[in-house]
Amino acid sequence: MTAANPDLGLRSGSGFWLAGYVSMLRFEMRNLRTYLTIGVAIQVLLGAGMALMYGFYFGEVDQDQWTFLVTGIPTLALVPIGFVMVPNAIMEHKLKDTYDYVWSHPVPRTASAVATATIFTLLALPGTVIALVIATISYGVDLDISWSVLPAVLLTSATATSVGYAVGHAVPEPRVISLITNVVMFVVLLFSPIVVAIEQFPDWWAAVQRIMPFWHMSVVIRAGLSEGLVSSSVVASYGVLLAWAVASWLVAAWVVGQRR
Amino acid sequence: MTTEAPAIELSRGRTGARGWLGAYVAMLRWEVIGSRLLYPLLLIAQVLVGAGFVIGFGLLVPDLDESAAQYLSTGAVVMSLILVGLIVTPQLLAQQKMQGSYDYVWSMPVPRSAALLASTTMAAVVAIPGIVAALVVAVWRYDFALSVDAAVVPAFLLTLACGSLIGSAIGHAVSKPQVTLLFTQLGIFFIIGFSPVSFSVERLPGWLATVHQYLPLHHMAMAVRSSLTDGLVEVTLLSWVVLSLWTLVAGTITGAIIRRRR
Repeated sequence: MTAANPDLGLRSGSGFWLAGYVSMLRFEMRNLRTYLTIGVAIQVLLGAGMALMYGFYFGEVDQDQWTFLVTGIPTLALVPIGFVMVPNAIMEHKLKDTYDYVWSHPVPRTASAVATATIFTLLALPGTVIALVIATISYGVDLDISWSVLPAVLLTSATATSVGYAVGHAVPEPRVISLITNVVMFVVLLFSPIVVAIEQFPDWWAAVQRIMPFWHMSVVIRAGLSEGLVSSSVVASYGVLLAWAVASWLVAAWVVGQRR
Repeated sequence: MTTEAPAIELSRGRTGARGWLGAYVAMLRWEVIGSRLLYPLLLIAQVLVGAGFVIGFGLLVPDLDESAAQYLSTGAVVMSLILVGLIVTPQLLAQQKMQGSYDYVWSMPVPRSAALLASTTMAAVVAIPGIVAALVVAVWRYDFALSVDAAVVPAFLLTLACGSLIGSAIGHAVSKPQVTLLFTQLGIFFIIGFSPVSFSVERLPGWLATVHQYLPLHHMAMAVRSSLTDGLVEVTLLSWVVLSLWTLVAGTITGAIIRRRR
């Protein structure tokens, strides 16, 4: 009597990758279902809430300034998903000791990584739209929406998710991750030219912001939502965002690809 | 042959003012030593938030005029006072509950009021650097003219006491620490974004302004702001009354909860 040979199947090729991707999508979706619901709620609250809150602080400003504020809201709603929720979701795997378990799945690690990125990129969309609608209505702003808002929002969301993914995997200590996410939110909410013009900031800080992704995110999205508010090069902003995304993929690939 | 068991010496001074004071000092030491790793971080966070708040919103708000700058600067002071009481106090209690050290602290042979006051004292001490940082930054950036009058003492003390007592009432009363943490997160958002602490109450929609007439936040801001500036706002008797009432109610609730035996 001989033991039956287990059918190991073909473990390479695009068909295998795709199957792995689909099953990891389902795995992550079920794993994160509570978290994802809370995420959308937080996002709407943060996005729309921030729009109203900035209004209280601004006092009386002209209509252009309100349009500027409203067109910055999608960026504000997208950033926390990528920069806070993604690293936190990974951190939770590390804290619950399921991190290695996920990696032990017989799927290509890239499929798993792309599945996570897909979920969070898509998750970010409904909350962003709701926040934008609430902000538009409460300030009575006329938006001039063009098709270019689609790639802008997708690239912003993908970049934010990618950076968060790289941070979540590259930083081993959970407390450091939570420190990083807190600092990022503080900088984004108070010190970033997302809802106001970059010219309002001191030159040296504006220079720093031109390297960081937040201002560029607001530029590409604003360009898709309005006419004549963006004076800088939109193509350059797309370039910077892509560079951030690619750099994060390289970091993530290096960390994820390591054997221990 | 029988030997007499040695008498157990019950510590003297478990009652009376001296006993209470001794317990207070002991609990103060307990707090300092127990959280010695946390305090430097809290201090840094307080300074950064205090100063960052004044600078950050100053940069964001287009065409910041003088009175708005004064509102922001004094608002940062009020914010530091409120946050330690209303937010940090329940967070620390929630943390104690999660770590399981909450009951242990209560089991110590000290009056519970002494333990409570010790933790409030430490919260106040931690708030000082943030307040100083906010004021220093305000003076430096906006040529802010401070005009401190005697009301500053009751204003600061009442704001701090009211916030801490509400915070500890929540921290003690809510048994699930996760609920407390959620409350504090929403609380921060509400205090910073939707309370007339750093901007004048006229900017809020009417119904929200009305709500704030009954909540303590607006009155805390009025009392502190009026004691630090000249001609910006004038605190009314109503604010003192509302604040005192909230302090009294929160104090009664906290008192009832911490006296409870299980």
